[in-house]
Amino acid sequence: MRTHPALGILRDVCAWLVVLLFVFPIFWWVLASFKPYTAIFNTTPVYWGFEPTLDNYRVTLGGVSRLSLVTDEGAAGTVAGGGSSYYSIPSIIDSVVVALGSTAISIVLATLCAYGLSRFRFRGQQPFVFWILSQRMMPPIAIAIPIFFMFRDLGLRDTHLGLILAHTLINLPIAVLLMKSFLDDIPADLDQQAMIDGATRWQTFWLVVMPLVKGGLAATAVLCFIFSWTEFLLSLQLTSQIRTIPVKISTFVTSTGTEWGFITALGSAALIPSFIFIVLVQKHLVRGLTLGSLKD
Amino acid sequence: MPVVVLLVVFGVYPLLYSVWLSLQERSRVTRQFEFVGLKQWEIALTDPRTWDSFQVTLTYTLVCLFFQVVLGMAIAMLLDTERRGYGLLRSLMTLPLVVPPAVTGLMFLLMEDAQFGVLSYYLKQLGIIDPLNPILAGNDTALIGVMLADIWQWTPFMVLIFLAGLRALPKEPYEAAAIDGASAFQAFRMITLPLLTRVIAVAVLIRSIDLFRVYDYVYVMTSGGPGTQTETLSFYAGRLFTLANFPYAAALALIVLISLNVIASIFIKLFKVRF
Repeated sequence: MRTHPALGILRDVCAWLVVLLFVFPIFWWVLASFKPYTAIFNTTPVYWGFEPTLDNYRVTLGGVSRLSLVTDEGAAGTVAGGGSSYYSIPSIIDSVVVALGSTAISIVLATLCAYGLSRFRFRGQQPFVFWILSQRMMPPIAIAIPIFFMFRDLGLRDTHLGLILAHTLINLPIAVLLMKSFLDDIPADLDQQAMIDGATRWQTFWLVVMPLVKGGLAATAVLCFIFSWTEFLLSLQLTSQIRTIPVKISTFVTSTGTEWGFITALGSAALIPSFIFIVLVQKHLVRGLTLGSLKD
Repeated sequence: MPVVVLLVVFGVYPLLYSVWLSLQERSRVTRQFEFVGLKQWEIALTDPRTWDSFQVTLTYTLVCLFFQVVLGMAIAMLLDTERRGYGLLRSLMTLPLVVPPAVTGLMFLLMEDAQFGVLSYYLKQLGIIDPLNPILAGNDTALIGVMLADIWQWTPFMVLIFLAGLRALPKEPYEAAAIDGASAFQAFRMITLPLLTRVIAVAVLIRSIDLFRVYDYVYVMTSGGPGTQTETLSFYAGRLFTLANFPYAAALALIVLISLNVIASIFIKLFKVRF
């Protein structure tokens, strides 16, 4: 369609404004993580002119005691309390272990289940698929309550394995539907040809189908990882010793004050893996988020 | 398929357990659960706090949904072009989606702080908010403050879906419409909207399910306050869980589940959504 050049420029300006407006909170957040105490708590917004500091990262990631940070006219050291409770490397490890574990289990189970759903027809299949979807409607708190008791009885409360299983439970329905939609794209003829050539069902699955579905597999894995990485409610209710990053960050909000420097530092660090993964699988992202429902 | 067994164990068991739990009561004397039938349900359905939180949840869902759909559609149409730099813009637009919701809540908590929040500062400058009335502590503004976080995080999701939908549209009807002298708005209303109905319906369905269960933003931003102004059903259930009133929390959570199932089923029938 032909458009007036001025209209095109107007469109550019609007588009940039809107997008920058949406990126601004992240920008502001990351900026705050490099600010000294006084610049964060300034009554007028501070964009420049402050001395960038890594203190917030040194406390949350480096294990430096906050009391040793007597800089900034002593402001950072004025609140009583040790620095150790802000040291978050163990939380990061917890999050990585849980996210990787639940991603791995989700992927293996979901792929097998999706392959079955995609290649075999059985009675009650449609209701079954719909039932998997309806799992997503369960409010997380409704899941948290029974799991809480189940884990207590099984001794899984406050263990990595317990949290991995809980996250797997949340990821599985999405992962199954997603893998099914990717597997449906691969013609079943290929399977049959392979089997005519003498391959077993397992060989067909492993040597013929899996290489073709690699992209979809990666996208599903990334989404599982991100869902687990960002999950809050179950991690909060099911653990007290193991603290995943979102839960750990929320503990920095205390009744005596909110440690914005540490919150923004750890929050910024927590964004990095998700950003990297999203960039890697961006073209599959839409299908992932909509459970493949936009397929033609 | 062993996977089916596993899904049943993890999918059906918690549900049945919730139902069973919701029929119990924790005895004050023995600290044991006792069967009391539908008592918890009766309490839940006559508790004014349930209905308050139901109303909050509904308001939250509808308002957020409205802004996410309208903004999402407008921004998707704005970005749906092959002009220079728009690929980058589309990528940047997806950034909010990977921020953990708990962190998003904190982001907006920081920005809406009464003393040093950047958003509060500009809104004060513009005279939109009363300097003496902090956003998240005001009876009228607290819920809006929480909804802002949700709208920020999930509008990009709508943009992504609508962009994918717009990409799949045929070009011919627009050419025909242009020849017939239709305005851009007419073309949008008569061609784009009808062709995108299914896409919009799916997006609205998925988003409603999540909105109706909102928990994270409320937890980190207001904890339901001031008073119970921002207490959603999920959050109320979570609070009861924390107070160890498990049977009542289970009954409430099941009410959320049932409401959602009813709404979603009607919706799926109405718009013939197929997955």
